[in-house]
Amino acid sequence: MKYLNDALREALAAEFALGTLQGRARRRFEHSLKDDPALRRIVAAWQDRLAPLNDSVVPVQPPARVWRSIEQRIRPASRRGTGLWNNLHFWRAASFAASTVVVLLALALAVWAPTPKPHDTMLAVLSDDQSNPAITVSWQADPRGAERLRVRVVGHAEMAPDTAWELWMLPGGDQKPVSLGLITTHENQTVTVPRRLASAINHASGLAMSVEPKGGSPTGLPTGSILYKGLCTTM
Amino acid sequence: MADSDSIAELITRCALRDERAFARLYQHTAGKLYAVALRILRRQDWAEEVLQESFVNIWNHVSEYAVQKSAPMTWMTAIVRNRALDWLRRPNLERGSEDYDLLVEAVADDAPGPDLLLGSSREARALAECLEQLPGNQRQSIALAYVNGLSHAELAQHMREPLGTVKTWIRRGLEKLRGCMQGAPA
Repeated sequence: MKYLNDALREALAAEFALGTLQGRARRRFEHSLKDDPALRRIVAAWQDRLAPLNDSVVPVQPPARVWRSIEQRIRPASRRGTGLWNNLHFWRAASFAASTVVVLLALALAVWAPTPKPHDTMLAVLSDDQSNPAITVSWQADPRGAERLRVRVVGHAEMAPDTAWELWMLPGGDQKPVSLGLITTHENQTVTVPRRLASAINHASGLAMSVEPKGGSPTGLPTGSILYKGLCTTM
Repeated sequence: MADSDSIAELITRCALRDERAFARLYQHTAGKLYAVALRILRRQDWAEEVLQESFVNIWNHVSEYAVQKSAPMTWMTAIVRNRALDWLRRPNLERGSEDYDLLVEAVADDAPGPDLLLGSSREARALAECLEQLPGNQRQSIALAYVNGLSHAELAQHMREPLGTVKTWIRRGLEKLRGCMQGAPA
């Protein structure tokens, strides 16, 4: 259901954020949020407005079993990814001596460095249509222009034979995607930003990745499916 | 909390599927979020379920957060509140009369009492000032609805007023709040 009247939208969003919109009306409203980004923004504004009402909450430590249940439920998804991460879980479960695990963890983390570098200021999380993140791209939005993008491929990393993965900058508005070059399936990689795009990338609205023939798109525009895309945000 | 452990940075790392960051996010925020759930649900077993579901939700939707403008804690709190409110409204939910006694203790008097102690941030001060300008009934019903998750019907019962009256208080109170906060000085 589309709520077209502005005053109605505002009133419903307010009562949704407050909690007094209930039952079928609440479910209908929640459903309509999916396709209505403007309405989502109105809801977010109300949530922000009322949020200080949570300031007086005194934290209460939840029982340890809650975290254990959470860990169990997210673990299957985390098994995707590199062999090294899978092995970490296996070794922990196999109850090696504590000191051995500490040494192995330290080695793994030193080699692996899963986070964007501390001075990166822009981030785009490229996800598929089900919002599963697949590739993250981060860079430092230097006023002189960005030099390199740090790309991390999470989740599946399979490339069909004779294809290539091409990274695109989406300038926003009606402008066409601009190629940033090819990336590989390597977990951690760096892409050098073409000089003529060094400033533009800092103002891009989003990034996307498409599957192209080997060697990249022959036309300068995406010819294959855009598998992953995401908006650029400032960190 | 060290800068490198800020909630926003931890959430960003969760988008990169960093489980250590997710564990630290839980450590830093679960206490507050559990308490938020408890204030609405008033039962430990329900609050535990809701907290668990909320964190799994947070992990699964963390890449969506990146495009929102809300503060990260506001985003996480909204997930918990929504889950708790949905839980409360399930059909056939047993909710005893002792819950209403607990709620009586939580009633705000005419001024925003200690229950509503808001922080000292600019947003908190703006909300406090604007809440103070509302008639007591409007302020009280908004506070009880938000903090304790009371429905229109529960508010009407608790405040001993007709359902229509309470609905009007909430609607007018929210309208006035928005008007006040949009014009509030920085």
